[in-house]
Amino acid sequence: MLRKTHAQRLALAVVGLVVALVFFFPTYWMFTTALKTPAQILSPAYDLIPLSATFKNFVNAVTKPGFTTFLTNSLIVTLGAVACSLIAGMLAAVPLARLRFRGRKGFLLLVLIAQVAPLEALFIPMYLIMRDADLLNELPGLILVYVALTLPFTVWTLRGFVKGIPVELEEAGMVDGCGRWGVFRRITLPLLGPGLVATSVFGFITAWNEFLYGLVFMRDKDKQTLPVWLSTFKTAFGTDWGGIMAASVVYAIPALIFFLLVQRKLVSGGTAGAVKG
Amino acid sequence: MRVWSKALVGGVAIALAVSGCAGSSGDSPSTSSQAPSGPREITVWLMNGSAPKGLLDSLNKEFESTHKDVKVKYEEQQWNGIQDKLTTALASNDAPDLIEIGNTQAPKFASEGVLEDVTADADSFNGANWLPSLKDSGSWDGKQYAVPFYAANREVLYRKDLFEKAGITTPPKSRQEWLDAITKLKAANASDPEFQALYLPGQNWYTLASFIWDEGGDIAKKDGTKFTASLSTPEAKAGLEFYKQLVDASGTKAPKDADEQTPEQAGIYAQGHVAMMIALPWEVATAAKSDPSIKDKTSAFPIPSKTAGKTAPVFQGGSDLAIPANSKDKDLAKDYLKLITSDKYQAEFAKAGMIPGTSKDVSALEADPVNAAMAAASKNGHALPATPGWATVEAGQNPLKDMLTAYLTGAKQIDAATKDADDALNKAFSGS
Amino acid sequence: MTTTVDTARSAGTPPPAARPGARRRARRPLADVAVPYLMMLPAVVLIVALLGWPAIQVLLISFRKLDLGELVKGKVVWVGFDNYTNVLSDPGFWEIGLRTVLFTAGAVVATLLLGLGIALLMRHLSRWVRIVLQVSLVLAWATPIIATTTVFQWIFDQQYGILNKTLVKLGFDSFQGHSWFSTGGDVLIVIGLLVVWQAVPFIAFTLYAGLIGTSKDLYEAVALDGAGGWQAFRAVSWPAVKPLLTMVTFLSVLWDFKVIAQVWAMRQGGPDGGSTTLPVLLYLRGIAASHFGIASAVAVLMLIVLVAITWRYMRLLIRSPETEL
Repeated sequence: MLRKTHAQRLALAVVGLVVALVFFFPTYWMFTTALKTPAQILSPAYDLIPLSATFKNFVNAVTKPGFTTFLTNSLIVTLGAVACSLIAGMLAAVPLARLRFRGRKGFLLLVLIAQVAPLEALFIPMYLIMRDADLLNELPGLILVYVALTLPFTVWTLRGFVKGIPVELEEAGMVDGCGRWGVFRRITLPLLGPGLVATSVFGFITAWNEFLYGLVFMRDKDKQTLPVWLSTFKTAFGTDWGGIMAASVVYAIPALIFFLLVQRKLVSGGTAGAVKG
Repeated sequence: MRVWSKALVGGVAIALAVSGCAGSSGDSPSTSSQAPSGPREITVWLMNGSAPKGLLDSLNKEFESTHKDVKVKYEEQQWNGIQDKLTTALASNDAPDLIEIGNTQAPKFASEGVLEDVTADADSFNGANWLPSLKDSGSWDGKQYAVPFYAANREVLYRKDLFEKAGITTPPKSRQEWLDAITKLKAANASDPEFQALYLPGQNWYTLASFIWDEGGDIAKKDGTKFTASLSTPEAKAGLEFYKQLVDASGTKAPKDADEQTPEQAGIYAQGHVAMMIALPWEVATAAKSDPSIKDKTSAFPIPSKTAGKTAPVFQGGSDLAIPANSKDKDLAKDYLKLITSDKYQAEFAKAGMIPGTSKDVSALEADPVNAAMAAASKNGHALPATPGWATVEAGQNPLKDMLTAYLTGAKQIDAATKDADDALNKAFSGS
Repeated sequence: MTTTVDTARSAGTPPPAARPGARRRARRPLADVAVPYLMMLPAVVLIVALLGWPAIQVLLISFRKLDLGELVKGKVVWVGFDNYTNVLSDPGFWEIGLRTVLFTAGAVVATLLLGLGIALLMRHLSRWVRIVLQVSLVLAWATPIIATTTVFQWIFDQQYGILNKTLVKLGFDSFQGHSWFSTGGDVLIVIGLLVVWQAVPFIAFTLYAGLIGTSKDLYEAVALDGAGGWQAFRAVSWPAVKPLLTMVTFLSVLWDFKVIAQVWAMRQGGPDGGSTTLPVLLYLRGIAASHFGIASAVAVLMLIVLVAITWRYMRLLIRSPETEL
């Protein structure tokens, strides 16, 4: 791939940009709608490119009472859940990928089946469990729920990534005199970078977007999360669509920032292969 | 198999041990429940948009001043997801003391015995003045489980300026006059290709219900607590036929396979090319968000009846108030209910543009022509079948909507369309 | 170096020779035997307590009558297989089940092909184009469902949708006022587009992460050997993504089978129930009607169908040489 011609590179770039455009379009449409006045949202005019723009929807969204509380709650819950799930997931993934022990396959099967149950049916028993454990209306309770929702996936994916790391690399590390922990920190962990990114982005977005459990388990207004906030734009007297779209743009920003912060790992993961040399 | 079943058993044992620990350690520090001897608290759940903030503030203040050592914990709820939230809250060890429930959901809650029976207390809640349609929705098997709160019904919103331009001096008072007005409006606006005399999407089934009742039919027939769909009756078919006649005559461009919410009709009305729409009074305010000038150009008349001079019966949508059976302080809740259903506060609801649920005084609505038309029509308010099954119909797949689309698009003849809808409704009524 | 934990153990174990694991274990000190279990403990506890236990509850509830009344009063009423006979005696159930399977199959195939294509593409893009592509993917992924379902409805709106307006502008006048939601199949196609659009980013990122896990050196070595693009793919990329692909296929099947928010928001399973899938049935007959016994029965049936569909996969994932050490 080093010897691509200029034309090939250009063609690839064009294809890449077209794909980007296709995937970007609905988001773009959300964004332009957020810039519209109510009258423009249902306009018969052809408005692929916005004819005018107002930032009123954004101002309204961000100044809506409680926004910062909801935002803080969402960040705490989401980041907490991602961190817990990554730690627990990694701890489980390494032995699952590298060790032979009794019950290993049973656990793998458990992890697989745990993802099969439909969440809509689980929420009543889950509610009763949280109620009896006195965890309703507590942010840590919601963190636990989201860890549970993302953990099977995290374990399974990380296990795949750990397996993807050539055992020889770790052996070489051991020979070089790194301890068990040293090998993990200097070789396994960096090589796991892309896997951790992919799974953490997944966990972040899953927890960040979850509505039902956040609504039902958090009773007090000052403990609710952003998806619940987003639903307040829909009222009995109609829906503030411009507001929803502006709020959704605002809402997608933390996930984007999170991704941009971790995406460098997606690149460095590739060079980490050089450790081998 | 042996290996992993062992792993499972081990896992469960650990989980039990851990959750046991969590339970015991979690009990002592958290003291969310109040000790009965200390100051009392009443938790009130009302829906977003139900009561204006000022009204609630003074209501809560008055309640707290007449009840020493009682604090009102007011929690506004969103409609989105309310069903799940209510279900779980009612089952919690800390249930709210007073809840608002939509009148189409009320029969389900009433029939399940999860609400306090308030039959004996009706008088103290202004029982003589209850809105009949809401009263029906809150009763089950002869007992009253929910008290009317407020209601609203649809009317025809119209553009005064466009009516004037078409030479229509008085709003239509019969179906025939209504159809004539459409003809005149179309003639006067022939130059506008975007013009729609009446915006009427294919699935505005509340309007269909009006027409069916106007013909003397009903959606379902009641026998005790049992309902049987009756859309195949000649009266119901006549209502459906008139709906089609109106759609065909009106030149509406509205989709035949969607209701008035997709896209939101108020937004389309606000574009200025629509002369009439069948809507709730506050949709004027929604439209005014797009075009503030439309408010002054808009007035309203009740949906005309086939009988000249009468208004068509209308579906009355609204809310009931109820005390959950798990409430810890039902006496307080009843006191609160007494206050909110009193004439004083009901009048405030009328001022806010609602039809009060426990007061016959709608004079506050008459000042504004748009609200006045609703108040006039409200005297002929109807309820939907008060059966738990209706909550399922309302939740999503509404056979009346499918029937309308099938008939309007010509996918089904009227006999097949009504029969299929009857079957689907009966299936929903049968409980599952 | 005499310790036998994680990397060291596997490093010291030549894969094919290590069959009789039980005997080996007997020779290990107890502390070492316990290590994998201790490491897995948090995950096991969380999964069993927060997913496994509720799942068992769902199974039990499916044999109970659990309506609002029973739930609130804490009553336990066993009804045997009543919920199942109720659900299965409805001829519509089988049609809905088949529809759900077909929808899942279509969505999964489309998602995987697109996801793999984009993952491969990303590998060959220059840094900036790649980041542009990645950002657009993340946005598609991160956008809240309430917004995406609405945006899709608007784009496909018959009167005001930008799609119809654009088609008419391009000269396809028949799309003036064209309804994209007139049959259940049409509705499912729009829903499928929405689901695929939001699912592809995850698949693409995961596969891409797997691809860059293979070193560039390896790729170059193959390229130096004069292998073409396809051969390089077969020789280097394919082995790297194959296990991941198996996994994401499995996950996609699960997710697409269970998708509800998008289906519900688009047309509530209509018109005429034509886009109703099993999760919609669960919601409509179970949750919305507060018949949690029925909801649980549908959930168990869904689980059975899903396990039946993915059984081969599960066996593959559990038994395949890849999971052997």
